[in-house]
Amino acid sequence: MKMNKMRADVQALLFLLPFLIVYLLFTIWPMIKGVQMTFYKWTLIKKMDYVGWSNYSKMLRDQEMWDALWHSTIFVILTTPTMIVLAIVLALIANRKSRMQKFYRSIFFLPSVLSVAVASFLGLFVFQPYTGLVNSVLHLIGILNEHREIYWLTETNLAWIAVSLITLWWTVGFNFILYLSAMQDIPDEIYEAARLDGANDRQTFWSITLPYLSPITKTIAMLQIIASFKVFLQIQIITGGGPLDQTRPIIQLIYQTGFKKNDLGYAATMSYMLFAILLILSIIQYAINNRKGANT
Amino acid sequence: MKKRYSLVLAGLLSTSLLLSACGGNSNSNNNEGNTASSSDTESTAPAATESKDTGSSGKAVTLQFWTLFDGGDGANMQTLIDEFNKSHPDIVVKNTKLVWAEYYTKLITAVGNGNGPDVGISHTSRLPDLIDQGVVTTVDDAATDAGVDWASYNQNLLNATVVDGKHYAAPIDTHPFIMFYNKALLKDAGLLGDDGKPVLEQSADGFVNFLTTLKEKLPAKVTPFALSNSNDDPYRLWWALYSQLGGNDIVSDDLKSAAVDQEKGAKAADYIQKLYTGGFIKKNDPDFYKNFQSGTAAIMMTGVWATGTWESTKGLDFGAMPIPKIYDQEATWGDSHTIILPTTKDNDPAKRKAAMIFADWVASNGQIWAKAGHIPSKPSVLEKQEFKDMPNRSDYASVASTVKFNKPSTKNWQIRDNASFKFLNEVWANKMTPADAMTKLQDGVQKVLND
Repeated sequence: MKMNKMRADVQALLFLLPFLIVYLLFTIWPMIKGVQMTFYKWTLIKKMDYVGWSNYSKMLRDQEMWDALWHSTIFVILTTPTMIVLAIVLALIANRKSRMQKFYRSIFFLPSVLSVAVASFLGLFVFQPYTGLVNSVLHLIGILNEHREIYWLTETNLAWIAVSLITLWWTVGFNFILYLSAMQDIPDEIYEAARLDGANDRQTFWSITLPYLSPITKTIAMLQIIASFKVFLQIQIITGGGPLDQTRPIIQLIYQTGFKKNDLGYAATMSYMLFAILLILSIIQYAINNRKGANT
Repeated sequence: MKKRYSLVLAGLLSTSLLLSACGGNSNSNNNEGNTASSSDTESTAPAATESKDTGSSGKAVTLQFWTLFDGGDGANMQTLIDEFNKSHPDIVVKNTKLVWAEYYTKLITAVGNGNGPDVGISHTSRLPDLIDQGVVTTVDDAATDAGVDWASYNQNLLNATVVDGKHYAAPIDTHPFIMFYNKALLKDAGLLGDDGKPVLEQSADGFVNFLTTLKEKLPAKVTPFALSNSNDDPYRLWWALYSQLGGNDIVSDDLKSAAVDQEKGAKAADYIQKLYTGGFIKKNDPDFYKNFQSGTAAIMMTGVWATGTWESTKGLDFGAMPIPKIYDQEATWGDSHTIILPTTKDNDPAKRKAAMIFADWVASNGQIWAKAGHIPSKPSVLEKQEFKDMPNRSDYASVASTVKFNKPSTKNWQIRDNASFKFLNEVWANKMTPADAMTKLQDGVQKVLND
C-alpha cells in the first residue's frame, strides 16, 4: 500500500517537474532576488551599492508613492462595485429565455478577447475631443453645444471616468460569464415554488437570485480588487498618468522608477509593498470566507 | 525511506541539469534574437563577407551596428550602410534595427552583460547618462587612428558631444524645432510674400499680429497655429523662447542644482500660454500633425523630421523656416543623432578604428540622411549639389548653429519627463500661472537631481 502511494507521488512529481522548474526559475527565484534588490541601489546594468533599509525609509516618506497608491485605490473604489453590478445586470439579460440569448452572450463577452493595448487605443479614439465618438454623439443629439468640447482625457475627474468605463467594457465579460454560470446553477424548482407563492420578478431576484450569487460575488470582488490594484497599461496608454500625475497608479510609478529612472532597487521596494497590501487583502478575504463557511 | 531519498536526489540532479541547460540556452537565444531581428539586412551581408575575405587587405572587419530608426529614417540609414559596405571592401557593417522606445534600455542591459554592439546610435541628450553608466567609450583614440578631422563638423553640434574635454560620439545630424507653413492658406490671408516666404515681423508682437491676421482672414475651421497641447512640442517652443531670452538651461553649470531663470522662464511660458488662451492654437488638438497635413492649419512647429512626411503628402504646398526670433537672440530646441562606440569585452582597436571610419563616412554623406529632413552635421555637405537640389532643407540648415543643447546632465531626460512636461502642461491648460509653474519647476528639477 505504502509503496504504491509513494510511487504515485513520484510519478506525479515527474509530471509536475517541467512546470515546477519553470515556476521556480521564473517566479520563485526572481521573487527571492527581488527581496535582495530592495536593499541595494540597483541599476539596469547592475551597478550595485548596498544601502540597507534606506529604500524602505525613503518609501515611507515619499509623497509621490502615497499619491500613486491612493490613485490605485481610487481606481479600485471606482471599478469594483460598478463591475459587480454591471456583470449581474448583463448576466440577467443574457439569462432570460429569448431568441437573442446567444447573441447577448457573444457581444457581452466579445471585448474580453481584446488585448489591453487594443482596448485602450479604442478608448483613446472614443474619448478624443473633436473627432471622438462620445463627443460626436453628444453633439449629434444636441446635449453638447456644437462649439464646445468635453476634454475627457485631460481633466482629472473625467479621465478617471473614461479609464474606468473603458476598463469596465473591456473586462466585464469574464465576470459576466462567472455570474451567468452561477445563475444557471440555481435550481429552477426554487423559482417555480416562488411563483406558486405569488412572488414577482423583483422579489425572486432579491430573495433567490442574489443570495444564491453571494459566494461567487465574494470571489469576484476579491479578484476584482486585486486586478484593479494592478492597473497600469490602460492608464499608461490613455492618460500617461497625467494631468500632473494625478491618475498615475502605483504600478506606473514602479515602472517609471525602475525603467525610466533606472532605479530598480527602489522600484522593487515599492513592488513588495504592493505585494504586502494584496497579501493582507487576500488573507482578510480568506478569513471572512472561512468563517462564513463554518457557519452554514 | 531510503529509496525515497535516492529518488529525491535523482530528481534534484536532473533539475540542476535542466537548470544549467536553461542558463546556457538563454544566452545563445539572446544572441540569436538580436541578429534575427535584422533579417532584412542579414540576407545580403554573408555573401559580402565571403567575397571580402579573399580581398587584398586580408580579413574584413565586421561591425555590429544597432540603430533605432524606422520609417524613412530606417530606409535612409540602410542605404547609407549598403553604400558604405560597397565602397569599403575591408569593413562590413551589419544593421540591427531596434524599436526606438526600447532602444536605450536594451543597449544599456546588453552592454552591461557584454553582448553589446560595436557601433550604436545615441541622441546627444542621452550621452551623459550613457557615459555615466559606462556604456559608451571615448572615441578620441579611434578617431585619431581613423583620421577623423573634428574641424570638419559643425562646432555647435560637436561641442554638445564633448564632455570633460573628451569626444564621446560623432554627430551625424541635428534635428531642431522649426516652423512649417501652408503656402495656400498664407496666401489667402495675404501673408505670403512674392518670394514664397511668410510676411512676418520677427518679434514678440510681430508673431502675434501674424497669427491674429491668420485668425481673422481665414475661415473659422482653420487653425492658425497647429501645436499639441502637452508634452514635447510646446516644451520645445518654451525651451526655444527661454533660450532666446538668454536663459541658460535649467540646471547649474556644475549640474548639481536646479537653476531655472524664473523671470525668463515665466515670460516665455506666459507668451505661449496666451497663444493657447487667445485661440490661436486649437484646444486639446488630438492630432496636430494631421491637422497641418490635411491642410486645415496655417502654420505648425515641430522637429525637422516632419519635412519628409509633408513632402510625401499629396496636395500639401508647404514651406519650412527657422522659428521666428521672438526675443533677443536666435535660438531653438534641438537634439542630434550621434554614432557611439559602446563598451565591448575587448574594445578591439581594429574594430574601433573601422567604426570611426564608418561614423565619419556617414557624417560626410549626410545628403542621403537629409532626405528625411535632418540637417547634416558637416557644413561641407550643405555645399554638395545633391543637398542643394532638395527643396526646403537649405531654408533651415542655418539653424544648426543656433540650436541650444542641454548641459551634459545625466538626468536630462528625467528632468524633461518628470518636471518640465508636468508643470508646463498645466500652464498650457491654463490651470497654473507661469510664475507658479516656474517655482514648481525649480523644486521639481531639484528633486530629480537629488534622487
